[in-house]
Amino acid sequence: MYLEIITPEISLFKGEVSSVTFPGAAGSFQVLKDHAPVISMLTAGRIKMRLADDTRTIDPASGRVVLDTSDDHAYFVEIKHGVVEMTNNNLIVLVD
Amino acid sequence: MANLKELRNRITSIGNTMKITSAMKMVSAAKLKKAQDAIQSMRPYSEKLTEILQNVSSSLSPDENVYAQQREVKKVLLVLVTSNRGLCGGFNSNITKAAASRIKELKGVDVEIMTIGKKANDMFAKTGRVIKTETEIWNDLTFENTDAIAEELMSGFADKKWDRIEVLYNQFKNAALQIVQNEQYLPIVIPAQEEGKSTGDYIYEPSKAEIIRDLIPVSLRTQLFKSLIDSQASEHGARMTAMHKATDNASELKDELSLEYNKARQAAITNEILEIVGGANAL
Repeated sequence: MYLEIITPEISLFKGEVSSVTFPGAAGSFQVLKDHAPVISMLTAGRIKMRLADDTRTIDPASGRVVLDTSDDHAYFVEIKHGVVEMTNNNLIVLVD
Repeated sequence: MANLKELRNRITSIGNTMKITSAMKMVSAAKLKKAQDAIQSMRPYSEKLTEILQNVSSSLSPDENVYAQQREVKKVLLVLVTSNRGLCGGFNSNITKAAASRIKELKGVDVEIMTIGKKANDMFAKTGRVIKTETEIWNDLTFENTDAIAEELMSGFADKKWDRIEVLYNQFKNAALQIVQNEQYLPIVIPAQEEGKSTGDYIYEPSKAEIIRDLIPVSLRTQLFKSLIDSQASEHGARMTAMHKATDNASELKDELSLEYNKARQAAITNEILEIVGGANAL
């Protein structure tokens, strides 16, 4: 599934992922491929994504996307607030 | 001949002015590019946000949400977005003109003004309507920095300080064209959903009502940020055009003066030769 994380200023991450864990408003939850369409609010915390392959682009200027030291296919993004929308294996996350 | 010297001085001074205006044009062109990029990268975010908002807007009840309350309009706040610096053609005066006519329209209503950028404040300071001037924002325009202003507008509306907030800014069309926009900021207007577009069968987490409550402040912040970056791009576009025109004018003037200078020089030389010839004939 395709994940995109965008802020009002830049796009933080674009690429294929196999799983994403979100800090949901009602607790942390994970999204895998073929998840049902969902719109969910996110609270302060970190989004963790596992890459499916190496086809990704990270905006290095932001410095917000960091590598998970325990897993070299996973990345973190710290967020304050956000909303995620999932449709047809397309995940769009709006954060600030 | 004094006239020659005068002309020479004027030509030099116009040349110097030309250097300044063309340098300013270059600087504005570079800044414009950056500002346009900011608008570009903002677009996906605001489009998606609007889409999600439209999706959940059906559960918005105007009485419940403080930012959607329609109250009897007694106090209006106009937020005027202008620049700190001049030399950008009609950029600032278009806003102040629009604001002045809006104030006339709002007869009998208490109008207060918040200015973003020095220029509108210079214009309206004497009216006593200006309650706040924000100038620092233009030094570092980020989403985070606009938060404070958005927060102030939202809490002012929630506390019933104002019943309506309008934002006047220059919308960016292209480098030569800016359009003055008067947007109603609060109470919030959620654009209607396009006909025939299905909302999809979503699971809402936690619930539609809660999502909209959380998203409205985000949307308001985004809207203000969008107005500001639009205004910034417009400012640089307007300055670029103004400076381009100024450079063109200067070079035209310089050409005219050079022609005049050469004519005067030629006349002086002819005169001198005539004098010499006259002198030689007399011998």
